[in-house]
Amino acid sequence: MKKFIMNIFIILAAFIIYFLQANFFNWFTISGIMPSLFVIFILFIGLFSNRITGVVYGVVIGGILDLVIGTQIGINAVGLGIIGFLAATFDKNFSKDSRATIMFMVLGATFIYEIIVYILNYIVFSTNIEIINFVRILAIEIIYNLILVIILYPLMQKFGYAIENEYKGNKILTRYF
Amino acid sequence: MYKNKKAEIAGIVITIVILILIVIFSNTDSEISFLDNAASKLVMPVQNGLTYLKNKISGNSTFFTDINNLKQENEELSKRNSELEQSLRELESIKSENETLKEYLGLTEKYGEYSTVPAYIINKDISNYSKTVVINVGSDDGIKENMTVIADQGLVGHVISVTSDTAKVRTIIDTSSSVSCLLSTTDESIVCKGTLEEESALKAMYIPDDDGIIQGDSVETSGLGGIYPKGIHVGSIKRVVNTQNATDRYAIVETAVDFDKLDTVLVITNQ
Repeated sequence: MKKFIMNIFIILAAFIIYFLQANFFNWFTISGIMPSLFVIFILFIGLFSNRITGVVYGVVIGGILDLVIGTQIGINAVGLGIIGFLAATFDKNFSKDSRATIMFMVLGATFIYEIIVYILNYIVFSTNIEIINFVRILAIEIIYNLILVIILYPLMQKFGYAIENEYKGNKILTRYF
Repeated sequence: MYKNKKAEIAGIVITIVILILIVIFSNTDSEISFLDNAASKLVMPVQNGLTYLKNKISGNSTFFTDINNLKQENEELSKRNSELEQSLRELESIKSENETLKEYLGLTEKYGEYSTVPAYIINKDISNYSKTVVINVGSDDGIKENMTVIADQGLVGHVISVTSDTAKVRTIIDTSSSVSCLLSTTDESIVCKGTLEEESALKAMYIPDDDGIIQGDSVETSGLGGIYPKGIHVGSIKRVVNTQNATDRYAIVETAVDFDKLDTVLVITNQ
């Protein structure tokens, strides 16, 4: 029952994030570049829940984004699904208790996600390859995401541990050390 | 522990302030004029006060005006001011309504040969790499895939998918967009593609080798490709970029439409 309520909260959070991204961060940009809130969100779900939940949320939310605003169904779904998968790998190998580690994870996740989406777009639509412009936009986007993580870290940690208790319970290894 | 918590909150507040400053400065066209403005805001009140004092000391006669008269005058002016403010608010509302109607009328007159459906942009892409928009008309309004979308200034894009009451439009600045165009002065054919290089700009490929392309040349759709009708204004040549290999030479086309401020469009339904 508690897990069900937790999932309702996650879905609500996804809605709020969508409206923030579409309305607020559309004009609150750094040199016209928006952050990618969904990468942070899926990374965070994958880190604090488990691999399957991270991948499922990544694919479902990405799929909905493709339907609502994307041009090809599957591009965001694949990108965010991979981030959900990677998050669980990060969780096994790194500690979530440090802001710096989370920042490194966000850096890596944003980098990987944008490269996957860019390559898929290139394959599907034969877009021009513009390495310099792509790197410029990616760098600003990563910086923006990192700034947001600095600001949101306490909130992420609090909400994250609530999710972790539900999904992992007594499997949280650090509790035995 | 308390100290750590306090330091953390201070850190977050500082980060938010820095983020706001970065956003403001990175989106201001002329940072110098912004700084000028800020400096003048700081200095001018003091300067005004000093000038006022200087005038008083030098025996400015207006200082000795009857205070009672001034009070009465002040009350009358305040009353008049609030009346004017009220009228101004009403006028602002009428003006905004008038502008929207004029925009629709202007669009319809300019492209009179086409039958069109007006629409508002209700959503924009949340990615930094693609530029699609969603408009508030769909199949119920007669919108179909591949219909051309225009604005008062020129070409916007084409419809890529439709629901009963919305339609997704791929704008010409999207990196996967490609439009066959003509240079208006020489009738030379070029292909304009979306680019990440600049917002509201296109990359014109396959441009003529000779001097057949000049800055400021108007660019229009050629009608080839089966999506866009012929003769719709796309933009103008901003600059030509020469490369070592002549065939890789390209030009940047500044779009006629300002995609940042775009909110009203027309969908051509009878092309």
